[in-house]
Amino acid sequence: MTRTTVQTRDAISELICRSCMTLDAKNFSAYLELCDPAYRYAITAYSPEIRKDMTWLEHDKAGMQTLFTNLPKHNSDQSPLTRHVTVYTVKPSDDGQQAEVVSAVQVFRTSLDGGATELFAVGKFHDRVSLSGAEPKLLNRNVRLDTRMLGYGYHIPF
Amino acid sequence: MSRNAAEWQERPNFPETHYVSTDIYTDEQIFKEEQERIFNKCWIIACHESELVSAYDYRTFHHPGGAPLIVIRGEDQKIRSFYNICPHRGNTLLYEPVGNAKRITCIFHAWSFNAKGDCIDISRGQQGYQDRFGCEHAGLREVKTEIGFGGFVWVNIDDSSCTLKEYIGDAMSMLDENLSAPLEVFHYHKAVVDTNYKLWHDTNSEFYHDYMHYFNRITGMIQPGYFDRKYTGYPNGHASVGSMAIKYDAYEGGKARGVGWPGLAPGGWVLIDIFPGMTYNLRTSVLRMDTAIPMGPNKLVIEFRGLGLKSDTPEQRAERVRDHNTIWGPFGRNLHEDLLGVHGQGLAMRERSDSKWVLHGREENMTIHDEGGMRHFYAEWSKRMGRKAYDPHGQNAAKAAA
Repeated sequence: MTRTTVQTRDAISELICRSCMTLDAKNFSAYLELCDPAYRYAITAYSPEIRKDMTWLEHDKAGMQTLFTNLPKHNSDQSPLTRHVTVYTVKPSDDGQQAEVVSAVQVFRTSLDGGATELFAVGKFHDRVSLSGAEPKLLNRNVRLDTRMLGYGYHIPF
Repeated sequence: MSRNAAEWQERPNFPETHYVSTDIYTDEQIFKEEQERIFNKCWIIACHESELVSAYDYRTFHHPGGAPLIVIRGEDQKIRSFYNICPHRGNTLLYEPVGNAKRITCIFHAWSFNAKGDCIDISRGQQGYQDRFGCEHAGLREVKTEIGFGGFVWVNIDDSSCTLKEYIGDAMSMLDENLSAPLEVFHYHKAVVDTNYKLWHDTNSEFYHDYMHYFNRITGMIQPGYFDRKYTGYPNGHASVGSMAIKYDAYEGGKARGVGWPGLAPGGWVLIDIFPGMTYNLRTSVLRMDTAIPMGPNKLVIEFRGLGLKSDTPEQRAERVRDHNTIWGPFGRNLHEDLLGVHGQGLAMRERSDSKWVLHGREENMTIHDEGGMRHFYAEWSKRMGRKAYDPHGQNAAKAAA
């Protein structure tokens, strides 16, 4: 079994963390720079009520760019989100060119009026990371949510 | 020009049918009466038949009138509904929102029931009750249940109510052809918002609020035919809005829908509001169903369902899922805006906020920005409640008399 070097694991962890920090800061261009050109993003959840997996959002890199570009045109909740991530497992491919990464994520929302923070959502990032370049890049992210009730919701993906 | 306190309080300069008092959205007593006089008298959607695939599959449902319900498919494939209340000591019988239960056994004292609502076992019944009480006295409270209008499971707490068909009348005629094929729920989520259920139903009863939706402005409002759509009111407070063709590719990144819907023109859109709080929203490739479940005057649970055809191929289903969630999913473009709007109304309209009136005064020959859909709803509301929506406490009448 191929093991990841400490340096590679550190670099992957930093990538995952930066993906959260850039979205927290609404720095969408910086977020997309962390993504491979073939990037695919999805938010999924399982509904026990209808006993089905659901895909709540699905975009390629261009689709994510369009989503971010269109955001200012919509009415949105402006409360800042804080994403907290813990990388759980990193499993490199046999050729060492990619890695499957599972991380726990919690998303907190802080109200603009007064600054109270509440837990907004929990779930996991199931990521595939490309290791073929100078730096790791996100190739595929599935945000697998445990939380299915998001109040009046949010426009910016997790 | 701004107004002073007295001017703010004055009744709007509209006919009484064209405005309502915000008390109807905030008053606790009015809410309790709505539960009794409206929700416990009307046919309400509890779930969809596709959520109960096999014998003994069940769903639980919090009825907006207050009663907790079990909706369960029997061995005979018939779907029945019962109070989710053990007749012994009032415990909840089924805790999970979904499951399969050939035998419903209360966790408390192990009394058991079947999917027809019969009590089939009372633990140590003879020892405790002798001949005084037995299973024949302990059946579950059954609730009228009918399946219809797209395979939805409707319930009515009122044993003496009319049939579902009588309740709906002609209101669903625009969708007759579109709901003939078996449907399947592929999306379900709930939202809890601090607002009144009528404010949510109002957003489904008027399209003037398309100003809130960038997506709708671009794909609909500036497209031909948008202002030709007309509201039609039906008995029992239902209303429909006619079809138009949506231009999806007008929204950057959007594209024309490839998958259609039986009987619907390409890009077509039909909306039907069912009193008191359900909306059929058939938009090109997907059917959305909203059901409003008020928990109080200022707390609302909304169930959102997205439906496709049972016969969908995986590719067709994947496209319907994308079409639905791009606009109406929890991260969709429109739904967040709708929920923000009613959340804001709930904030501004709390009791003692001095909010006074909501205007329903737009008249545009019952076309898409007319507020006739809401006027029609509140006429039915007033009839059922025995209260005037514009003066629910009779204060204006009292002032006039004085």
